[in-house]
Amino acid sequence: MAAKALVLFGLAGALCAAPLALGSYQLYLAQLMMINTIAAIGLNLLTGNCGQISLCHSSFMAIGAYTGALLVLRAGLSFVPALAIGTLAAALLGACLGYPARRLSGLYLALVTLGFLQLVQILIEEFPELTGGVRGLSVPKPQILGYTIRSDFGLYYLLLGVAVLALLLARNLQRSRFGRAFNAVRQSTFAAQALGIPLGRTKLLAFTVAAGFAGLAGGLMAVTVGFMDPTEFGISTSLRQITFIVVGGLGSVIGSVLGAVLLTGLPEFLRGTQEYADLVYGVILLGSLLFMPRGLKGLFDDIWDLRARRTVTS
Amino acid sequence: MTWQIAFQLAIAGLSVGSIYALVALALVIPFKASGVLNFAQGEMVTLGAYIGLALSTSLTLPFLAVAALTVVIAAAFGVLIERLFIRPIVAAPEFTLVIATFAIGLIIKAVIRLHWQDNTFPFDAPYTGPALAIGPLRVNPSYLVIIASLAALVAMLVAFFRTTRFGKAMRAVAIDPRAARLMGIRVETIFMSAWALAAAIGAIAGLLLAPLIGINPEIGQLIIKALVAAVIGGFTSLGGAVAGGLLLGVLETFCGAFLGSTLKNIVPFGILILLLLFKPQGLFGGSIQQRV
Repeated sequence: MAAKALVLFGLAGALCAAPLALGSYQLYLAQLMMINTIAAIGLNLLTGNCGQISLCHSSFMAIGAYTGALLVLRAGLSFVPALAIGTLAAALLGACLGYPARRLSGLYLALVTLGFLQLVQILIEEFPELTGGVRGLSVPKPQILGYTIRSDFGLYYLLLGVAVLALLLARNLQRSRFGRAFNAVRQSTFAAQALGIPLGRTKLLAFTVAAGFAGLAGGLMAVTVGFMDPTEFGISTSLRQITFIVVGGLGSVIGSVLGAVLLTGLPEFLRGTQEYADLVYGVILLGSLLFMPRGLKGLFDDIWDLRARRTVTS
Repeated sequence: MTWQIAFQLAIAGLSVGSIYALVALALVIPFKASGVLNFAQGEMVTLGAYIGLALSTSLTLPFLAVAALTVVIAAAFGVLIERLFIRPIVAAPEFTLVIATFAIGLIIKAVIRLHWQDNTFPFDAPYTGPALAIGPLRVNPSYLVIIASLAALVAMLVAFFRTTRFGKAMRAVAIDPRAARLMGIRVETIFMSAWALAAAIGAIAGLLLAPLIGINPEIGQLIIKALVAAVIGGFTSLGGAVAGGLLLGVLETFCGAFLGSTLKNIVPFGILILLLLFKPQGLFGGSIQQRV
């Protein structure tokens, strides 16, 4: 237990001190890692725990991002309420999609979410007066209590704080009655129903929470990148988020973090071979599905078990 | 609206719809046989077009020979994908299958972009040319070729599934793989052939589309329209897929002409979402039964 606490303290210290050691590009990458972690955690609750395929996670990011940015730009709201409303709007739309979709599963759910993704992208493109359309939208730096966060440091700590909160929230949700209901629904809808778990309400909750996480990540993404256009919220982004949770480990919060951090950092290791990025992501995704279906988390668990067994026998 | 305009729009719509129908067939055939929906099918259409391009620029062959060779290579490629990636996970959960086929599509597209970049290549077929004047009507000959190709292919498929032993075996596997296996049908061979057939049909769609819009890595996006077509048709019916494709093509073309491009773009996805939410068996399909 003491060792675990020590590791956590060390990690916390490293994360707090990290900006001092990082260059501006690495710092930006670290910021993206936090944002992707938040999005991946949400998707993993829906897909990994509750077992529902979603190909439109990036659409909820778009909804959070555009709602937040437009409230700041057009309605003059400050950053925090705009982010909160954006998150709620995404969650609400998640519920709107989840309500009829709670009766579907598997392939049909994949198709509905794919249709929803296309629809959101087209709606953003077709109303350029409001959203900037295909030309995109510039987003101002975030303002908190009248103070504008200009430095990358400030943004880093803001994102770190939100990401840690999101992580704790997901972890607690997973261990709650609702989290266990998610897992039961994934393992067997019939057994779950027989145990008195309300199937529709559980799926609806998973959709809503996942969309909320995505909306939050989208709102943060908008102010971090400072610019957005509808192509960023297409199927490739959704697939990338699915890659995060598949590679990290389905159904595990730590898996989401691992996948998002490692794969967001991947371009850094591939420096100079940028054009291979899509290929590498595709191969990693397919490779994990074929050879590592439980993800890195599963792999680490296996290694841990093996070591534990060895110490017992020796 | 004069009847000439209506007729010309209908022809244009039917030709677009024929492409959707072909890709929808390529989705439904392996889905019926093996229960796997291939989300990489769009990229296989793109790949077919690029194979045609590579063959016609490197070899001096007549168009039909290029087309035939392309279809054979594409079919071989379909077999390869089925053997290497799909067969090991055919019993895996649906999530794995959906995402794996997406990943295959991602890889195909990435390789195409590495080799040919994002340029759009023109692709000429001997039948492209000025509009034909038939009485008071003007019709693009490519449209007629596309519609005729679909008709010929459907006729061949009907003959294949109704009369040949192999076609009947494929239908048997689609109905019940276990019973088919007990009757001595090699189910794996059927799966593989279904993928080969789908890849071949996809390549034909790519070759037919290429002279109209040129060849670029984004052709594969039309898979979404094909999915809508398949859903309209009830997803497990070949006739439904063809009807759904044609219906979608005509609907889209008329929407574009009279209601503007915004609605034209929104209509297919609106149809997809509404149908799946409220009538997932499609307009032509029967009821869906689920085994517990």
